Amino acid sequence: MFFHIVLERNMQLHPRHFGRNLRENLVAKLMKDVEGTCSGQHGFVVAITGIENIGKGLIRDGTGFVSFPVKYQCVVFRPFKGEILEAVVTMVNKMGFFAEAGPVQIFVSNHLIPDDMEFQSGDMPNYTTSDGSVKIQKDSEVRLKIIGTRVDATEIFCIGTIKDDFLGVINDPATA
Amino acid sequence: MSLAESPVHSSSSDDFTGFLERALGSGSSHSSPDEEADYESDDGSERSTKRRKVENLGSIDETQGSTSQIFVEENSEASPKKDICTHPGSVRDLCIVCGQRVDEKSGVPLGYIHKDFWLNNDEIDRVRSTDIKKSLHLKKLYLVLDLDHTLLNSTHLNHMTAEEEYLHCQTDSLQDVSDGSLFRVDVMHMMTKLRPFVRTFLKEASEMFEMYIYTMGERAYALEMAKLLDPRKEYFGDRVISRDDGTQKHQKGLDVVLGHESAALILDDTENAWTKHKDNLILMERYHFFRSSCHQFGFHCKSLSELKSDESEPEGALATVLEVLKRIHNMFFYESKDNLIDRDVRQVLKTLRKEILKGCKIVFSRVFPSKFQAENHQLWKMAEQLGATCSTELDLSVTHVVSTDAGTEKSRWAVKEKKFLVHPQWIEASNYMWLKQAEDKFPVKQTKT
Repeated sequence: MFFHIVLERNMQLHPRHFGRNLRENLVAKLMKDVEGTCSGQHGFVVAITGIENIGKGLIRDGTGFVSFPVKYQCVVFRPFKGEILEAVVTMVNKMGFFAEAGPVQIFVSNHLIPDDMEFQSGDMPNYTTSDGSVKIQKDSEVRLKIIGTRVDATEIFCIGTIKDDFLGVINDPATA
Repeated sequence: MSLAESPVHSSSSDDFTGFLERALGSGSSHSSPDEEADYESDDGSERSTKRRKVENLGSIDETQGSTSQIFVEENSEASPKKDICTHPGSVRDLCIVCGQRVDEKSGVPLGYIHKDFWLNNDEIDRVRSTDIKKSLHLKKLYLVLDLDHTLLNSTHLNHMTAEEEYLHCQTDSLQDVSDGSLFRVDVMHMMTKLRPFVRTFLKEASEMFEMYIYTMGERAYALEMAKLLDPRKEYFGDRVISRDDGTQKHQKGLDVVLGHESAALILDDTENAWTKHKDNLILMERYHFFRSSCHQFGFHCKSLSELKSDESEPEGALATVLEVLKRIHNMFFYESKDNLIDRDVRQVLKTLRKEILKGCKIVFSRVFPSKFQAENHQLWKMAEQLGATCSTELDLSVTHVVSTDAGTEKSRWAVKEKKFLVHPQWIEASNYMWLKQAEDKFPVKQTKT
């Protein structure tokens, strides 16, 4: 799920950036530092959308660096148990398949793949229904439901299922 | 100086995530149609109890009554689910079936599939037994391949001698690796030479086997080599096992291979790595291309690279072993009368090996140290595995005398009686080539006069 929230961060800026473009430099550095990172609490920071407020800078003794408290608006992404996500399959094997929804990795075990889909080995391993109408292989897009999440400081891992109504392949690269 | 984030709305957003977890969690437990039906009927009964409560007690607040009712209902629904899940495996400490946190890991780690991927023993058995039925139906067995000295030979760039410098001009491009055989892998600081015939070998073997790479090298190296051998990822997929993935130090084991032992063959040049699975092993003659590799194993002659030569493509070890694999595959699927699922590739391997020196009766002379128990010697055992009978006594039924010295009594007897007199390498060569070697290629030299 995506959220638009306000976060705060103390930014350290090198004295060489002081001058007319101080604000631009500060924002550029903030984007570089924050976008794409993951925090356990909020999930992945997808994009910074605006700056709320830049506080007074504090000069650090001995270094000349100045630290600014910056409040910024950003879009974050965090998956929840029970959420329905669309993901791209990255790897298929006997035990199930792995998929990615942006930075989030999801594993779907063969216990949670509908029973009528069977594993087929070969150079392009896949799960296929007996009539061959539905196929899950690398690069397939699937809609799945999250049943468990593990949120670490730098990454989020999920267990998913497609054994439910309206879940499964939504776009097959082979037929597209 | 910490640059840590200091979130503004930490407490409120935390509450919010907790709320979302609960809301989505409770919503999801009612999503399947049967449960929905349950929910509706519960709803009905809920209303009736509510009514009863109101009737009976009158004073109880209705909303309070209904929330406690839902709470109890959820609990009763969750507890049987927990009991049913046996947690057959986990990834990153999450159960692969119920998604719950699993703290105790048991069974076998399959780190080559994903970081922290564990399956317990029952689940591995289940995966293996469903998989073997499918494999046998497709007429495929499992093949575990070693990298170094079996499929290729690598050397550190720093260990290359002056005589090998010319190789730097002959390396093949890493852009399209599908035809080349000599590569400079700069990320690993390595020069790698693929064994002649390896491309054909992999192509033909992939039709008979589901293949694994299993190397004592580290993971990064294994993946680089897999890229060279299998650029299109059609042979190995994610089945690349390295030192980091084994369950025992300095040992390789079929326990991390998701194939049944009775249908798995191993190609490796190091017998000691597979102490538990010697019956599955086909021992390979080591491929030494680089000088450093020869040196490591105590050969001080010129290496193939220095001689600007290479193993023969049509008659090399991989071509030989491919023929053996074809025969095993053929025997397993077409010549056995047993029930398909009861067949054992180890038995086939043993039978085939016994054909090699069938009918030979061997007497050894000056091969074993004098006080050594002859039956326990490696060559004696090898000869017996190859189907020969070994003896310590000379009689007319003896066909071969194996000796290191033509001057011994037994050797002279062999010459006199017109029996074959061969060097011990004859047995080893027959073992590697899977064929009885021509005896005249292994003459015994006179050491003493």
